[in-house]
Amino acid sequence: MSWREARRLSDVAFTELSLQAVYAFRQGNVLPAGSSKDLVARARRRVFQSKFVISVVLGLIALGAAGLIHLEATIGPSSFASVPAGLFESGVLTGLFSLDIALLWWTGVQVIPTLISSGVLPALEPLPIDRRTLYQVAGILYLRLFDLPVLTILVLTPIAVGLALGPFAGLAALPGTVVAVVYALALSLLTGRFFLRRVQGSRGGGGRSIVRWAYLVLWLVPAFAMFGFISAAPQFLRSLGDLAAQGPSFDGTLLVAAFPFSFATLPALAAGGSGSLAIFSPTVDVVLAVSASLYVALAAWSIIWLSGSVRNLQFLPTQPPADLSPVASVLRPTGFARAVLVKDLRIASRTPGYAFLILLPILDAAAIGLLTYASPLPDAVASSLALAAVTTAALLATFFGPAFFAIEVLAYSYGRSLPLSNRSVLFGKVALICLMYMIASVVIVGFTIARFFQPAIFVAFILVELPAVLAAAFVELGLLFRWARRRGLAITNLYTGAWFAIAVSIPGLILAGLPVLLFELTRSSGTELALGVMAVVALAELAVATPVALGRGAS
Amino acid sequence: MSAPLSDLNLVPLSIEGLSVAYGERPAVQQLSLSVRPGEIYGLLGSNGAGKTSTIKAIVGLVRPVAGEVRVFGVDAIRDGVSAKARLGYVPETSMLYEALTPREFLEFVASVRRMDATTATRRLQSYADAFRLGSELEEPIATLSNGTRQKVLIIGALLHAPPLLVLDEPLNSLDPRSVRIMKDVLLRYVAGGEHGVLFSTHTMEVAEQLCQRVGILDRGVLRGEGTLAALRERVAAGDASLEEIFLRLTEEDVGVRAAVDSFGDPPP
Repeated sequence: MSWREARRLSDVAFTELSLQAVYAFRQGNVLPAGSSKDLVARARRRVFQSKFVISVVLGLIALGAAGLIHLEATIGPSSFASVPAGLFESGVLTGLFSLDIALLWWTGVQVIPTLISSGVLPALEPLPIDRRTLYQVAGILYLRLFDLPVLTILVLTPIAVGLALGPFAGLAALPGTVVAVVYALALSLLTGRFFLRRVQGSRGGGGRSIVRWAYLVLWLVPAFAMFGFISAAPQFLRSLGDLAAQGPSFDGTLLVAAFPFSFATLPALAAGGSGSLAIFSPTVDVVLAVSASLYVALAAWSIIWLSGSVRNLQFLPTQPPADLSPVASVLRPTGFARAVLVKDLRIASRTPGYAFLILLPILDAAAIGLLTYASPLPDAVASSLALAAVTTAALLATFFGPAFFAIEVLAYSYGRSLPLSNRSVLFGKVALICLMYMIASVVIVGFTIARFFQPAIFVAFILVELPAVLAAAFVELGLLFRWARRRGLAITNLYTGAWFAIAVSIPGLILAGLPVLLFELTRSSGTELALGVMAVVALAELAVATPVALGRGAS
Repeated sequence: MSAPLSDLNLVPLSIEGLSVAYGERPAVQQLSLSVRPGEIYGLLGSNGAGKTSTIKAIVGLVRPVAGEVRVFGVDAIRDGVSAKARLGYVPETSMLYEALTPREFLEFVASVRRMDATTATRRLQSYADAFRLGSELEEPIATLSNGTRQKVLIIGALLHAPPLLVLDEPLNSLDPRSVRIMKDVLLRYVAGGEHGVLFSTHTMEVAEQLCQRVGILDRGVLRGEGTLAALRERVAAGDASLEEIFLRLTEEDVGVRAAVDSFGDPPP
């Protein structure tokens, strides 16, 4: 069969995947009213919208990076005066490539479980299609999951760099862009396989749950780069300046050889910044040539691996159980809200997309807390950093509502056959959101105690912000339940439900962010007063949000 | 949860004038039936006849456009949570939380059903022994075979010993041993004369063995209802099997012969 036939079959498979991803009818969800043609069109439109949102974010990141380089070049060095121009450009582009990888990878983590569970590829196997075509169909289908975001990166990155540093530099950004995309796609599939074998297939039991969460933390650390890099970017650029000030060193050579820095230096070299790189190593040309060649070879191998591995996803055996002997099956029923909370945590422990969201604020708190503890910055600045970390945890918690609602959709129809009111489900999910915020906050308090020995203000800040976090969670979940009840709509994951997740997160962000904003505005009049204002606003928000969430139509 | 004593004098399930539609397309039209205490009621019908839509309306998965559903006198549409507390449900497809293990799933079900740990564990162990579920209870549901998933769904429906069971093709994918166990469990379930079972199937032999009364649905309309003897009388066929009665009532007997004839002779 021809490529044309493979493309046609992949189109059918992608339509089926979109329909299942959006409507989750394999999980027993009832399809909304409408002709199948309309439903298919709506599902495809929704998948396109989500890819469009991700692409817009990627585009903004690329233009932002170019803008940063342009500003530094035209207005002159400001806070990064110690960093030579070529190094500054390489540092920013390193960040850009890292963010591209992280965002594409995160997209893959969201969508690959759906690809696996949809069964679209196994459905093709019994048909009289030759093996080569089946591999082609699987490969094309996989690329289609990422098509618009990948195109955005491949087209916009060289253009943005070209606008900032000139056409040759733009051209020189292309190899790094391509390699970053290939690595992201390979990492997505690699982690998808890992997910199938070690996480989704992991048996039950308390000890195994801990191991599973540990796997997830290890796996999510690179994905955390997306957020961590933004948090640590200024520190990274300053470190580059410090390293340059030392002159040639082994660390400098290692940095030049590291991915994606080695590719990020190419546009700077093309723009005439080779001098700044020579600071690191006198043999910088050789180091760059060798490392870049190795990375290109790895990317080529990744493409070959990818072309054979997508189809084989369906044949992967899950992790065989170590012990097949019968286990004592003890059931420990709990209250409604706790049952929902425990169920969600158990599902998240085998669903990386959700685990990522749960772990993100905790990992972020740990990273910023560590930075606060170890930072040479004055106490006042480090203290602001710690408060900002609590704020981040509160704001990140606003993304939990859609994610935890999506967990419910996994078996929404069965859940609805149980004598469980939406109110109980809602309380369980709000409790989980509250738990995540408090864990992240406690981590930060731990570090601040270690450094300042004055935890009172942090504890007060955390507790005063808590009603606002609860209000945000109530409003988001209330809106989602109201809307699901009215339209029977399923959000199966954040890949297909990005629009809705963003739409309901906006009021959540406002509710969680307003008390913090008022704290900042009134802080100059005294911390106690600012905390008081914050408390009044947060409690008022909760008082308004609770009836919205629990009112008629929502629960 | 067992039925409160006050419930036991009530009809396990009564449906009056139920209509279900998906957009403009009607799935069930003006359906009325009841499951009496101590009765297994078989709901029969071809694919797309409206059996699953009827069951989904009973358990609150679809909102009917008209009609009334009562479970032991409780309005299942207005007071869904109370009605659902009195029933156990096995869906047609194994829609489960795939990322949970059966034990984790059943623990969630037991929590929602407000069961105590001792009763829940004792019942789980007896059903797990009966269905020969051992280490599978600790495997993620996503990795289990269809038959094992079906056993998990059945245990989930029976765990709280509900006074009404609503079963949508419950014997699907089960091995012969488990089918036999399930049949005996159902017969014993209604033997006390208080509980009721609504059982949908397209396997006529099973309905013939188990059900005291059957209702035959065709394109959303109840074409006939009663005991096997009453239905034989109605179609004027003294010793007809349920399959023949079904085909006559749904006016498919001529269509079946025509369809078989259209295949022509078998290839040599």
